[in-house]
Amino acid sequence: MTRLLLAAALAGGAASAWACGESLGAGRQTLTGEGWQVAWRAAPSPVPVGRHFALDIALCVPAGQALPAALRVDATMPEHKHGMNYRPSVKAQGAGLYRADGLMFHMPGRWELVFEWRDAAGAPRRLAQLLTVQ
Amino acid sequence: MKRLAALLATVALLAAAEPLPSALHDEDIPRILAFGPWPPPPQPDPSNRVWGQPAAIAFGRQLFHEPALSANGRIACASCHQAALGFSDGLPRGVGLARGDRNTLALHDLDLQRWFGWDGANDNLWAQSLRPLLDAREMGGSLASVARTVRDTPALRQGYADAFGQSPGPDDERVAVDVAKALAAWQATLRSGRTPFDEFRDAVARGDRDAAARYPQAAQRGLALYLGRGRCYTCHLGPSFSNGEFHDLGLPHFAEPGRVDPGRHGGIRKLQASRYNLLGPFNDDPARSTATSTAHVALEHRHYGEFKVPTLRNLRLSAPYFHDGSAATLREVLRHYSELNEERLHADGEKLLLPLRLSPQETEDLLAFLDSLNETATSPHPKEARR
Repeated sequence: MTRLLLAAALAGGAASAWACGESLGAGRQTLTGEGWQVAWRAAPSPVPVGRHFALDIALCVPAGQALPAALRVDATMPEHKHGMNYRPSVKAQGAGLYRADGLMFHMPGRWELVFEWRDAAGAPRRLAQLLTVQ
Repeated sequence: MKRLAALLATVALLAAAEPLPSALHDEDIPRILAFGPWPPPPQPDPSNRVWGQPAAIAFGRQLFHEPALSANGRIACASCHQAALGFSDGLPRGVGLARGDRNTLALHDLDLQRWFGWDGANDNLWAQSLRPLLDAREMGGSLASVARTVRDTPALRQGYADAFGQSPGPDDERVAVDVAKALAAWQATLRSGRTPFDEFRDAVARGDRDAAARYPQAAQRGLALYLGRGRCYTCHLGPSFSNGEFHDLGLPHFAEPGRVDPGRHGGIRKLQASRYNLLGPFNDDPARSTATSTAHVALEHRHYGEFKVPTLRNLRLSAPYFHDGSAATLREVLRHYSELNEERLHADGEKLLLPLRLSPQETEDLLAFLDSLNETATSPHPKEARR
């Protein structure tokens, strides 16, 4: 069963003291849950409507965990009950860094950006963030 | 500097006692500004090595009007894409050698599009230009017949040589794809002109309240409805008034009794099977720099019955409307959205469309707004962009 880890803090919050994804530079946003952190920054930023964008991602693991073999990125519009028309590709860059390409928010409104992976025990993990794009 | 000037103009407008006239609100300003500026600069197509080249554009125009490319020698691209009708045909469904399933799309501002055709079966304009040449219900040709016609017709043979720097070679497929690339080079120059809405949008951008106030009140009310309760903006956004994607509008799914038009679902399948997509061997751009959409497009069940969101520019000339040409007028289009049959929407489709229940006044206001998206008389539609 997927364990839902709620997005607890954005960049500038208490969790940013971990400096997860510092190499992503200013403008990154950070999600935390149960010791895991995902930092991401969009290119271009802010995220446009109706155009492709990419994400530079850093995944920071809690003590006792290892970096997962794969990270999955997806997004849905909760109110509209549909996802993107494109399936992003995610490439590991090493040292917990990833690059996701091919995302597109084709409509303005609220999108839930989702990061999923499996921990060392094989349990599914998930961090998510609601974004409003115009 | 330009961005700063625009910001200052917007701030000035926001600070005014009556920042926007009529029913529009200050929070509408960013969305209004995002509908322009117009016209945008031409968008190069690196997948087409002759894009923007005058000799190829001239050859493309020549080919567009050439009936010898069809199987019966009587149908040219221009037979169905008539300039006086916004490069559409005025018919509910296109008729070439036989009647097709879908309405003929107008041709303008094509360089801004990501997908081509009502189902987006092509990801580039040259592949989309090749399709009707080979379609049995349209021009009914073949790779071999197209290549042979170009080789055997002196004027076309010369046009090819001028455009590509060499005479057509023995490879039929290569010659036919080059023909399509010349056709694309010409069509990419068809830029629609400025509209009354563009004048309003630019007045808002520079904070010119007097000029903004000259935009008709009915159109302003229609725009407010478009951005607000109507939620038209959700899909019809940006300078082309389209997000370039596909949606299910609750229209009948049957092309004819007993035969379903799969829409976008079928389009993606055709795209992925095509040798002429941007991941294929005929893309002239080794970096595949414009192939992101093709590489990542997702095929899902919900795409059944979805059709492309068309531009709303210059609708006046391109009636009838919808992918099946089932709406003779824009008033009928608005009636569809007003009285939407939710039962026809796919059960797993998006929960976006609801019957708008438009009042007669709201219908008139939306029509006034849509009419303001037509070129003015001083900018005859559509013309080749001046490069």
